[in-house]
Amino acid sequence: MNFFFVSVLNGVVYGCFLLLTSLGLSLVFGLGRVVNFAHGALYALGGYALIVGMHGAGAGYWPALILAPLLVVPVAILIERVAIFPIRHRPEIYTLLVTFGISFMIVGAIEYAFGTGTTLLPPPAPFVTTVDIFGNQYPVYRLLAAVVSLFVSAGVFAVILFTPVGLRIRAVTDDPGMAEALGVNTKWLLTLVFGCAAGLAAFAGALGAPIFAVHPEMGTNILLDSFLAVILGGLGNLAGSVIGAFVVALAKSIGGGYVTDWSIAVLFLVVAIALIFRPTGVFGRGRVA
Amino acid sequence: MTIAVVAGLLAILPFVGAAPFTITLLTEGLIFAIWAMSLDILVGYTGLVTFGHAAAFGLGSYAAGFFAREVTTDFFVTLLFAEVVVIAVAVTIGFVVTRVSGIAFAIISLCIAQVLFQIAVAWRDVTEGMDGLVGVPLPKMFGVTINAGTELYLLTVVTLAAVCIGLRRLVESPFGRTLQAIRTNEDRAAAVGINVRLNKWLAFIISWAVAGVGGTLMVFLKAGTTPMSLHWTESGNVLVMTIFGGLGTLFGPVIGAISFVFLRDEFTTRFEAWQLAFGFVFVVVVLAFPTGLAGIIARVWRSLWPVRS
Repeated sequence: MNFFFVSVLNGVVYGCFLLLTSLGLSLVFGLGRVVNFAHGALYALGGYALIVGMHGAGAGYWPALILAPLLVVPVAILIERVAIFPIRHRPEIYTLLVTFGISFMIVGAIEYAFGTGTTLLPPPAPFVTTVDIFGNQYPVYRLLAAVVSLFVSAGVFAVILFTPVGLRIRAVTDDPGMAEALGVNTKWLLTLVFGCAAGLAAFAGALGAPIFAVHPEMGTNILLDSFLAVILGGLGNLAGSVIGAFVVALAKSIGGGYVTDWSIAVLFLVVAIALIFRPTGVFGRGRVA
Repeated sequence: MTIAVVAGLLAILPFVGAAPFTITLLTEGLIFAIWAMSLDILVGYTGLVTFGHAAAFGLGSYAAGFFAREVTTDFFVTLLFAEVVVIAVAVTIGFVVTRVSGIAFAIISLCIAQVLFQIAVAWRDVTEGMDGLVGVPLPKMFGVTINAGTELYLLTVVTLAAVCIGLRRLVESPFGRTLQAIRTNEDRAAAVGINVRLNKWLAFIISWAVAGVGGTLMVFLKAGTTPMSLHWTESGNVLVMTIFGGLGTLFGPVIGAISFVFLRDEFTTRFEAWQLAFGFVFVVVVLAFPTGLAGIIARVWRSLWPVRS
């Protein structure tokens, strides 16, 4: 029973965390129909930006955590301007190919600058301890990271639902042509959203560093999990992504605790079947097909 | 004809002083070339971008490796067994995935390849888990062992030439034209009476079957295989080779695969940032030269010898 409880708790924590990366992935697809395979690499870049902030600039953990996305956003904006903007009139599949190449470049650059080793970061000072939950010792930092992720994700929803920029984002997602005709600067908006999505991914990479450790390939699994979440929810459908993130996270942690590797095989199979029969997503109307 | 000449030139390389290491590297490149050509049938000719083509190659490797270790090392029987397995899986998977196209196809194929990857990790009785199949014996042909090095290289050259001729005939056949019609415009192809679903399915099966041949050769070259051969990043690598070489040309992917292997070797020995350099080249090719190396070569060729009309 205790084991099950901890699995569920781990799943919920990972789900909150996965929200940060899934929302960005989904937003960028909904807005510009960009399938961003570099999202995992940008996440890894966030982890390394944290290291630069802490070890390079000597900042504390919290300032470095804020600094990490700020370092990654300009890189993302550059990527969008140079590599993604020129191909936005080509079939969507090209965005997938280009971003895949870019993820190669980012991971390569990280390996070149920092080596291929793994860096373990201790959680910041007051959160190194564990807390007793129904007789289970659970690391405090994980709970904190989950709460922070939830707040940031809620912030993303607030921006999209209640601000003028959010209104424009929703308009372009609905109908880019009409939005442009009404005076929305779609070009600028896509750059902005791509940058912010990368910022979210980088923030996740930095926030997760004390939990998952930092290494050049750290984004590969996160990218796949986020994609599964976003597809389950319907690509481009934000509310669906939230459900998708928790389904993927819980399935991985509960299944992984009992039947080990087979659970992930089943998860992928379920997603593949779901996508074949409901190409627009299981939990909502997305825009894949 | 051209294929025969190129194959002949490749075949004499070991006898004119090419180093054994170069020959091994070239063998790997030529096996990748078979794999990249099989991908070209799907991506370049049918317009179905897959992010799960490692599944076909890795499955061929696993089936052949398992069979060679447990039953017989006869090359033809092993190849036959691997092909039966790969085609059976391709028939099943292809039947469902060909319902969709575009991004959905890319992502579903990725998911299915990851299913196979996880099975390879989890089904330890057959696949030996993360360790992979090791100690696959050398193949035999008519009772004679094919040794690593020159003999395996020659076998690869002959296989590649056969695959080249077969696929060349395929893409020039009415079936090949049908695939290209589907690539150009799926709806219009359907409107003129082409059974789009059936033809996509056939293309999928053929592509997997050819990739399985490559996988079989690879398991003998490496004397084993690991689950990483099924991982989606491998699918990305073969996509890079094919696009780098030039989609929809068949000879492009061959150049792409060979240059991939040699560039990787050069870059990894000379400086550490091989992924950075290769990613950069790939992005530039996709952005500026959608026709790949083959397109660049063709353009230079035409400017040197302009066709008079």
